[in-house]
Amino acid sequence: MKEFINYMADPIRSFPLMTIMYILMMKYYRIIGTKKFAVGALAVLLPIVTWFCLDDNFRAIIMWPDNIPINIIIILIGWLTWYSLYRCAQNDERIERGECPIEATPENREKVWTWPNLVYTELMCMIGVVVFLVVWAIVFKAPLEEPANPTWAPNPAKAPWYFLGLQEMLVYFDPWMAGVVLPGIIVVGLMAIPYIDTNPKGNGYFTIKERPLAMWMFMYGWLVLWIYLIIVGTFLRGPNWTFYGPFEFWDFHKVVSEYNVNLSEFMWIKWLNMPMPQNIVVREILGIILTVIYVCVLPVLSAKSKWGQKIIANTGQIRYYIFIFLLLGMTSLPIKMVLRWLFSLKYIIALPEWELNL
Amino acid sequence: MAKKHEPGMAYDMNKLHKVFAFFSLVLLMSTVWVFLDDYIRPWKAVQIEAMKIEKQKIAEEIAAEEKVISKEKLEILEKQLKDANQNVSKRSKDLTELNGKLQVLLRDIKDETIVNGRLNGDVAALTFKWEGALSHGASYAPDLFKKLKKNKALFAISKDKMKTLKGKEKKIRRKISDIKSDVTKTEKEIASILGKRKLLQGAFDKKKITPIFAIRNAPFLDFLDPTVKIKQIVLPNITDDRYFQHVPKVDRCITCHTFIDQKGYEDQPNPHKTHPKLDLMVGATGKHPMKQFGCTSCHGGEGHRVTDFNSPAHTPASKEQAAEWAKKYNWHAPHKVPIVQFKQGMAEAGCVKCHEGVQYLPGATVLNEGRRNIEKFGCYACHKIEGWEHKRKPGPSLEKIASKVSKKFFKNWVWDPKAFNKHAKMPSFFNQMNNGKLEHQVKNIAEVNAITEFVYAQSEKYKPFMRYTGGNKARGKGLVKELGCMSCHGVADFPIESKKVDAFKGPFLTGIGSKIKSKDWMVSWLKKPSHYQEDTIMPSFRLSDREANDITAYLLSSKNEKFDKLNFEPMNEKARDEILVTYFSAFDTIEVAKKKLASMTSHERTMELGKRSVGKYGCYSCHSIKGFEGRAPIGPELTKVGSKPLTQFGFGHEYDVEHSRDGWITAHLQSPRRWDNGTDRPFKDLLRMPNFDMSEKDAKSITVALLGQVSDSVPLKGVKRLNKHEAVVAEGMKVAVKFNCIGCHQIDGMFGDLLNVYEDDVNEGPPRLVGQGHRVQADWFHYFLNNVYEIRPWLKVRMPSFNMTNEERNKLVALFQNKSEVNTFEEVHQVVAWERGEKRAAKKLFKQLDCVSCHAAEYTNDEPTAPNLKYARRRLRPSWIEKWLAAPDQILPGTTMPSFWMDGEAADPDILGGDAKKQIKALTKLLMEEGHNFYSPKHKKTRSK
Repeated sequence: MKEFINYMADPIRSFPLMTIMYILMMKYYRIIGTKKFAVGALAVLLPIVTWFCLDDNFRAIIMWPDNIPINIIIILIGWLTWYSLYRCAQNDERIERGECPIEATPENREKVWTWPNLVYTELMCMIGVVVFLVVWAIVFKAPLEEPANPTWAPNPAKAPWYFLGLQEMLVYFDPWMAGVVLPGIIVVGLMAIPYIDTNPKGNGYFTIKERPLAMWMFMYGWLVLWIYLIIVGTFLRGPNWTFYGPFEFWDFHKVVSEYNVNLSEFMWIKWLNMPMPQNIVVREILGIILTVIYVCVLPVLSAKSKWGQKIIANTGQIRYYIFIFLLLGMTSLPIKMVLRWLFSLKYIIALPEWELNL
Repeated sequence: MAKKHEPGMAYDMNKLHKVFAFFSLVLLMSTVWVFLDDYIRPWKAVQIEAMKIEKQKIAEEIAAEEKVISKEKLEILEKQLKDANQNVSKRSKDLTELNGKLQVLLRDIKDETIVNGRLNGDVAALTFKWEGALSHGASYAPDLFKKLKKNKALFAISKDKMKTLKGKEKKIRRKISDIKSDVTKTEKEIASILGKRKLLQGAFDKKKITPIFAIRNAPFLDFLDPTVKIKQIVLPNITDDRYFQHVPKVDRCITCHTFIDQKGYEDQPNPHKTHPKLDLMVGATGKHPMKQFGCTSCHGGEGHRVTDFNSPAHTPASKEQAAEWAKKYNWHAPHKVPIVQFKQGMAEAGCVKCHEGVQYLPGATVLNEGRRNIEKFGCYACHKIEGWEHKRKPGPSLEKIASKVSKKFFKNWVWDPKAFNKHAKMPSFFNQMNNGKLEHQVKNIAEVNAITEFVYAQSEKYKPFMRYTGGNKARGKGLVKELGCMSCHGVADFPIESKKVDAFKGPFLTGIGSKIKSKDWMVSWLKKPSHYQEDTIMPSFRLSDREANDITAYLLSSKNEKFDKLNFEPMNEKARDEILVTYFSAFDTIEVAKKKLASMTSHERTMELGKRSVGKYGCYSCHSIKGFEGRAPIGPELTKVGSKPLTQFGFGHEYDVEHSRDGWITAHLQSPRRWDNGTDRPFKDLLRMPNFDMSEKDAKSITVALLGQVSDSVPLKGVKRLNKHEAVVAEGMKVAVKFNCIGCHQIDGMFGDLLNVYEDDVNEGPPRLVGQGHRVQADWFHYFLNNVYEIRPWLKVRMPSFNMTNEERNKLVALFQNKSEVNTFEEVHQVVAWERGEKRAAKKLFKQLDCVSCHAAEYTNDEPTAPNLKYARRRLRPSWIEKWLAAPDQILPGTTMPSFWMDGEAADPDILGGDAKKQIKALTKLLMEEGHNFYSPKHKKTRSK
């Protein structure tokens, strides 16, 4: 069983699994978002987690002081996700019945004083958080490690936990892309959301039914492309950034077979059986064409579709194109991951001469 | 919302206040926790415990002191004091009067002091003013001068007055003390009896936990001047490598190891125990005082960390200890510490990084054992270790092997040396854990055949110079035991002695008859080893032809019949060709390799494989083989193996090996091929480190020696720098170790393995060399090393003649001189100058002490049992003779030479006025005068020619 879980935890399998689970969750949120389901899930999960914790290797990973925040994240995310689904389910049911959302009922719309209702409770939260951090710092002491040695890097060398998702992306993308371009797009995209999304529905209340696209898209990016990758980066990547199952011993000498090939090499050598062209642009022509199609043609085509037309009608051309560009940026990650797993594809465009690898 | 609140309010304020109070309380508590967590440190408890131990010890000392104090005497004294006090009170009237006078005087003195002080100031100020006025030609200068004169006169008067007053004061005080003298005297006596107790009591009181102690060590206040605090040693001479810079080493071990440098705590449990080798280490008077060398310089670990038991990287010596520590201190293996603490019993590894240039260190038992084993097993031959480059190859030369052993013997020996001789130092390469499979064996057999053919083809011709003419086995056996062969060779017929000596320089003598193919070779070798191999260290024992024949008869009579019956499989040509193809195809295709093979004759192929196999297994590292001169040794360098990161040690799939440097090294030494377990390697990549069948003890001692080979660079100020004497000694010791002088001779208390055989009578064994540089004259010693002659004819063990170069002999002479720190030559007068009557006295003494009863040679016809005194003149230093005569037993404990001048008393009170020194001097002069003026009997002959 443990062997099987180790096997399934490999991103090749667990990523699609997570995606499927995500789809199921969003589709059946009315069932998931009930108290009954929550209790049932807890009743099933607790023994499983206990059984997991009985394993030495698993315990070694989760009890590593650096990894404590990730444990907390998992619990918090689980709870918050369920809670929002629960509220969404409640509201959507009311909306279907033609009632207003709970948040919009007259007693919930009543205004209260900032002081003491807000400021006082905020103060309490501040105190609570301080206490929490103090106790944490006492119980899990910051380790005193060996003096920095430039010739002896730690292995695995891991980024701070909140960047582990980005570090995981490095497996699939050129450092320039995973380290600069994609994080840039993420930050800019998040900042741009209020300006792109002018739909007033869902303001101040939980709902999925009224905002299907926004919810599906954002939650996928958040849960699967960010949180899931952090978990993988934290728990399942060991020495040499090699994948280790949750019950696997971090054997320093583990060897994995990975040999990746560029798209241009596929095209010229495997399919056309020709030498690689000298001209680097010609060499990478297929990748360039595909990328141009992906970035330039797809938005235009999608704008002509019924779905696109509807969004354009609601928000306008510019907002639509920015939106679609961000969406494509996001989906490029799973696309690249799948290509890597299926074809050992290294880069779609490999132009190390220009430091441009996609 | 079920509950209605006031308008504008979402919560009930009372409830909010309660929650707020709760949070505030929790915050307060966690703040207190922060301070407690910061305040409570494990080492504080240890120091409090140490205080208790010390207090108890002082209490015991006080109790012991109480017993010493004689109660009766104290009582008498106290009574005396009482009487004296009564006497004083009788004269109280006088005393009051005197005291009254004294008070008046003191008042006058005080008054005069003020006057005197003022005048002094006035004079100085006036002098300054007047000198200024005078030099500037001011008109008022003469007035000032007058004033100055007046003040000076007054000052002189005042000074005089002062002297008178002081004189008076002295007188009165003396009178008072005269009256009280009895009282003071008795009080002093009482104090001298109780003094020690008082001091101890003071020390005891200091250890009490008083309110002041509590305040000084209270939280918040303990930054001011705590008594319980971290104690540290900062060592500017020894640095820690922090990669970007070297910082002075800081050791805080003494924070918990409280009494490590103090005597008297040997029985305390750790950490309060005294250092077990206080004389050598840690102790302030030893060679390595704590303040100069710290702790982790030798022990390894992180000495600056005192957070808890784990932080300094304490390392348990065994699994049991690890379990015990885990229970007691929550111990776990240290993470990310470059050099963890050396385990108990391995601390001597720490000697290595500072003590460079010497092989054996006095006092470092385990390390010396390990270094001896490195020499014994010849590790240095295949693995470069800095400081071992001067060593000769541990195996015998194979340059003339064809004349010594048969091919059949050679093959069987290479295949399995231990089958012939279980003490063989030659390790086993074949039929091991990783190459025992049939397919491997076939190839190995082909390789051994090829090696044999190759080595024999390279072998030069050799013809023995002497013929064996038959000898007596029993006599030969006796000679082998008596001559001293066993200082270098173990002998199968003398297992107990062999074990005692544990000789390793030469081969273990067993089954020689099965090994040596020619009797003539054997007898020639014994007679003159350098005839066969010029650079051999096997010396000539100046054997007579009969002796050589006897020993040959004895040695060759021992046969290993089981080994003789072994047949070695002939070369499998297919296997040979297959191996050659893999060699050739390293950089070429198999096609080309096969073509290359086809172009070679069968003989050429065998030679090619032989040469490549010698290279593959590194035979040339230990044996001289023609064609391999100057090739780098085969193994990886071990100079810095003690700092090699643990991750770079290949543990393979051996999970039961302890995951530490020393765990790996010990496991590797005991079973070097184990790392191939569970792997599927091609034949050419199988591990090749041979198996030495090493005992765990040997492996562990070598581990200690290797663990010390760290890359830490200790600054020049910190390392042991040999002084000019020690440097010469180190250089000389290389020669002494090379020729195994130390196998026979004990040098100033170290070495002398062969003496273990002569436990019953140490005087029957090879002479012990104590202060040898001071004992013998340099020119004689240099002559002797090249012209050995018999000094002690009664000894059966024989000093052999070594084939040394002049440089080597010089180094040996210098070694002993510098060890004794004496000049090269001592003043030796050709003509002895006698004082009046001295010579007569010397002769009388010589007769009276009956020196010739033992030193018979050239005086009587008796069998001598002590060296010939006639040769003392050129051999011994007069100053040493004097020292020797005065106390022979102090130089050589257990010597047969009697001490005639016990404790500096004269041997005969009637001679030379009973002055021991004069008597010794006279005798020494006599020896100097009567002695021969040549080095040895043979020297006389050569000189007279």
